[in-house]
Amino acid sequence: MSDDRRHEPSRAEIESAIERILWDPASAMDRRRFLGRSAGAVGAVAGVSAFLSACGIAGTAEKNVADLARVAATVDHPKVPIGNWTFSNWPLYIDKSVLREFDRTYGGHVKYVEEINDNNEFFGKVRPQLTAGRPIGRDIVVLTDPMAARWVRSGFVTPLDRKNMPNAVANLEDSLKNPPYDPGRLFTMPWQSGALGLGYDIEATGRELKSIDEFFNPEWKGKVTMLADAQDTISTVLIGEGIDPAKATLQQHLEGVEKLAKAANADQFRRFSGNDYTTDLTKGNIVLALAYSGDMVQLAADNPNLRFAYPEEGCVQWTDNMLLPAKVQHPYAAEVFMNFVYEPAVAAKIAEYVNYIPPVKGVQQLVERTDPALAANTLVFPTAEIAKGFRSYAQFSSAQRQELDKAMAKVTGG
Amino acid sequence: MLPWWFALPALLWLLVFFLLPLVNQAGVSVMSGDPEAGYELTWSLGNFTDAIREYGPQIERSFIYAGLATIVDLVIAFPVAYFIAYKAGRFKAFLLLMVVLPFFMSQVLRTVSWQLILTDNGWVVGSLRDVGVLGENDRILATSAAVVGGIAYNYLPFMVLPLYASLERLDRRLIEAATDLYASRGTAFRKVTVPLATPGIFAGSLLVFIPATGDFVNAALLGSRDQYMIGNVIQQNFLTVLDYPTAAALSFLLIGLILVGIGIYSAVLGSKNLTEVAG
Repeated sequence: MSDDRRHEPSRAEIESAIERILWDPASAMDRRRFLGRSAGAVGAVAGVSAFLSACGIAGTAEKNVADLARVAATVDHPKVPIGNWTFSNWPLYIDKSVLREFDRTYGGHVKYVEEINDNNEFFGKVRPQLTAGRPIGRDIVVLTDPMAARWVRSGFVTPLDRKNMPNAVANLEDSLKNPPYDPGRLFTMPWQSGALGLGYDIEATGRELKSIDEFFNPEWKGKVTMLADAQDTISTVLIGEGIDPAKATLQQHLEGVEKLAKAANADQFRRFSGNDYTTDLTKGNIVLALAYSGDMVQLAADNPNLRFAYPEEGCVQWTDNMLLPAKVQHPYAAEVFMNFVYEPAVAAKIAEYVNYIPPVKGVQQLVERTDPALAANTLVFPTAEIAKGFRSYAQFSSAQRQELDKAMAKVTGG
Repeated sequence: MLPWWFALPALLWLLVFFLLPLVNQAGVSVMSGDPEAGYELTWSLGNFTDAIREYGPQIERSFIYAGLATIVDLVIAFPVAYFIAYKAGRFKAFLLLMVVLPFFMSQVLRTVSWQLILTDNGWVVGSLRDVGVLGENDRILATSAAVVGGIAYNYLPFMVLPLYASLERLDRRLIEAATDLYASRGTAFRKVTVPLATPGIFAGSLLVFIPATGDFVNAALLGSRDQYMIGNVIQQNFLTVLDYPTAAALSFLLIGLILVGIGIYSAVLGSKNLTEVAG
């Protein structure tokens, strides 16, 4: 799965280079014969440049989906007793009683780590192990669509043994069954979904906001935040222009960046944020944010003036996906857990805690019994009408994504 | 005299944890490629010229902010250190503890609390508007003043401590002698105290200026895109754009520029002070 054919030779070269410098007795012998100040210096220079060449950073070659599907077809993760295993997730993204219940029911212990704050940063952190073909010590990681797509295409994932997860197969929402990067969900399972829309303070705006144009409305000059993530923000900008981001080219995205840059240079935006736009909004530094739907459910509970609107032009629906990293050490435990959270009762418990859109069928009916207000909340359970406006991200290769990130970084970083 | 190999652990430590990563990143700074194909050593010095061309404003801004913060810290820290060294009496240890106390808490957390204190609708900005220091639409967050202030705040102890150390061991009979010789207290301060505190001023300025130049936390939390410093650009290139060569080239540019700066600074103040402080 993880043999990166294009790069295997360079890795071998690296190893032999290191060996030559450090351990090869023959070359050491040679060097000893010429030992002298100048020869030593030459050796040092050669050593440093060999060391530097050896420091080359491996790439992440893209694989084609058909090859991946073939590998996935043969996957078999036999039933084994569940021991200690690790689940890496975003902060505040589960009702922890669910974890305790899983431990009680299936044995073993899940080490739950809230370490993912940003897709790119997390990837940056584990990238060296992934490209070197080593396990990253985590059995499930949760990544948003574009990053999950990148992991799938680079072969940084272990295929799911769907025999171990009948619930997941049966209860997954139909609309999430075939994302472009993983048709048939051979490698990933949705954790939660959400929408990107207008988060605003109605007391400050004095009226309801409905359109993506509001982000560019000079009325709110200097009182708006957009997200620093390129695909989140630019996809939204494109939807505002009537373009479906999933079908848009890199060039169109770059034009979106230009539109954003123009507004940014006119001081339209207070700043480009991560999840921390919530502070700016609750403290009144801004009146309007490009916001995540689930955040706004929680903020509105504290301050009813804070509203979320699905833009009338449509909006990005993103999904955070559970996946097994390449060389995963406890695949069976991970799959049993995925199966567990696809039991509607468990999914309902998680939905009540996190307030994002659950990817599991039958949750709304269960929540209706315990919390009718939440069941009626269209931010958690969007109507079919709203769901019609949902769009997804474009699929970019790592190189394309870098080009977009670079252009975006120029706007967000002044 | 100690045998030279007593220095061996320190040398090994530096070799492994300082030199190796540094050489590695020096290599990365002259690589080229993209995240898909990988990055290979091509000795492309263009990374450096590109970095200067593209990120000149942020580099310049970093030095200006760091310089301003150093001056602010010097102005605040001198009286504090002076007071602790000469007037604090039995509260000396307590006051020194107060100076270091902020370090017991993460810098990020402290900066985030400033973010909350200085919000547009908060009482600080509100009061400043009421008394007319700030206009009705002025703010503190997302301004240069906030970032410079944040840096000065975060690095203040690095200025107080060396200043305190050099004032504390200053031979006070010299000041007495100066006043005996009809120097006014002001003149004695100017001609005796300050020159003898130069090692502390020198060390303090370096301890503040160097990390401040590479700081990115303050600009990220208290500033906005117009306040981003070179540290933010490096972080973004390493972690988001995955353009390791540009990030590494920028880091080395920063190192080079700081070295030049220190060279000039120590030539002005006299490099002797460096060793005096160390000893």
